[in-house]
Amino acid sequence: MNFLINYFKSSIWTFLSFTVVILLILIPLASFLSYSFFTVDGLEINHQLSLANYKEFLVGKIYINTLIRTIFLALTVMFSCIFLGYPVAYFLARYAGRFKYVILLMLIIPLFMSYIIKIYMMRSILGYAGLINKVLKMFDLIEKPLEFFLWNQNSVIITLVIILLPLIIIPTFTSLEKIPPNIIEASFDLGCKPFQAFRYVIFPIGFPGLVVGSIFVFILALGDFITPQLVGGTSGFTFGKIIYSNFGLAFNWPFGAALASILLFISVIIILLTNYLTNKLK
Amino acid sequence: MTKLENLTKYLIAILTGLIVAALYAPIVMTIFFSFYKTRKGMVKWDSFSYEPYTKLIFEKQILESLLNSLYVGGITVICSVVIGFYFANYYHTSKSKMKEFLQFIIFLPFLLPPIITGLSLLIFFREINLPRSLNTVVIGHTIFVLAIVFKIILNKLETLKPSLMESAYDLGASKFQAFWYVLLPNIKLSLIIAGLLAFTISLDETLITLFLIGNDTTWPIKLWAKMRVGFSKQVNASVTLILILTTFLVLLIATIISKSEKRILH
Repeated sequence: MNFLINYFKSSIWTFLSFTVVILLILIPLASFLSYSFFTVDGLEINHQLSLANYKEFLVGKIYINTLIRTIFLALTVMFSCIFLGYPVAYFLARYAGRFKYVILLMLIIPLFMSYIIKIYMMRSILGYAGLINKVLKMFDLIEKPLEFFLWNQNSVIITLVIILLPLIIIPTFTSLEKIPPNIIEASFDLGCKPFQAFRYVIFPIGFPGLVVGSIFVFILALGDFITPQLVGGTSGFTFGKIIYSNFGLAFNWPFGAALASILLFISVIIILLTNYLTNKLK
Repeated sequence: MTKLENLTKYLIAILTGLIVAALYAPIVMTIFFSFYKTRKGMVKWDSFSYEPYTKLIFEKQILESLLNSLYVGGITVICSVVIGFYFANYYHTSKSKMKEFLQFIIFLPFLLPPIITGLSLLIFFREINLPRSLNTVVIGHTIFVLAIVFKIILNKLETLKPSLMESAYDLGASKFQAFWYVLLPNIKLSLIIAGLLAFTISLDETLITLFLIGNDTTWPIKLWAKMRVGFSKQVNASVTLILILTTFLVLLIATIISKSEKRILH
């Protein structure tokens, strides 16, 4: 008890708790950024500052190409999630009535369910002898099993969409739900066609939620290294995977840190840009 | 409602149904394969058994990883709720400009790709010569969930009237008494929600854990390692059990939220 009393009396604790957060968040980030300027010497890390890692990134075309490919992958995942998730959120907010929270809950639960399991099971759904091929064959729609789904870019996109979709539905739903029905009715009374009502009334109000969800999906898809590795086959060589392999077998931590710094830089720019845009919209 | 609107309504209702089905397909399959056997890619419908569940007791490695996950989740809940409450309270009461900066820092690990949080802690621990263990995983999980915990508690604090604490002080409560008898009962539910959420997230965290884990394994890491050789029935059974646990936790959180909202309304 005395401990608790002191906790709320002394300001030393304020100082300490700040230190804890700065120690565990800011200093690790700083040390990781500074690592990107080091080099590796066999199994030892050479603590001499140099730009060698960034130079290697720029010179070796493979890294830039992979980065661009990964950004496109993340964008594809993001837009797929928007196209699939927005109608769902819209349905929940406007038409689902008293079932909306039940359905929302059903969409939230898979988000917390094992990430690895989802990837593993997607393999047996998408695979050569997987569920989709079997069902298609059962209905005689195909003669040979399709190879379209596994060990390529498509399977990475499908799996990431399945994993990340709830992240876009939830925030979009919460901002769409705030629209009072009478605003939509008013827009109709004022002569709006359904599409106009959507374009000028519903969409702008739901936009902030959509943006938040999209950013989450984009950043998570950009940095994911497990999904591409496990379902992507040869095209699973994404930017995140390169970073991870530099911390594993390749044992080139400084170079991995440099690549991750570039990822960090991109993410921070996107977060700041979104922040700026949503503030401007308000 | 126009005809067009009706049509869109039905179309997106079907889409919603399909998406729910797609999200659950991997999960349902896992549960299914924990009960039924397959041979040559065909399901044997007469092979129903719950044997894998009883055999699970003999799978030392899986059980150990499950216990490790529960340990990590438990400690993460304690750390994140204590620190999260402290910062939420600070953010709510303080007038200094530092608090926006503080919030920004707390949100960083949550907003950045998990790979960056993971490897920055990995590098930091190496530099200070802290060997990797379950405790380093706890640190990683704590700073990852801190933003959510902080936000939930802060949202609750902001619904309380400032007069609540002031009147407690006016009536002669010490700072500690005001906290224990006035503030805590009022924010109790938000602390529970935040804790349950932190636990649920920690239980399934993979991307950060992979960098911070030493020789021990947590449950998702065990699954990741088992994936190369394929899952045994026992693994599927352990997955089913964890799925039941997470579903229960999420439903519990939802019930508490809907109940507490009702209490605010009435």
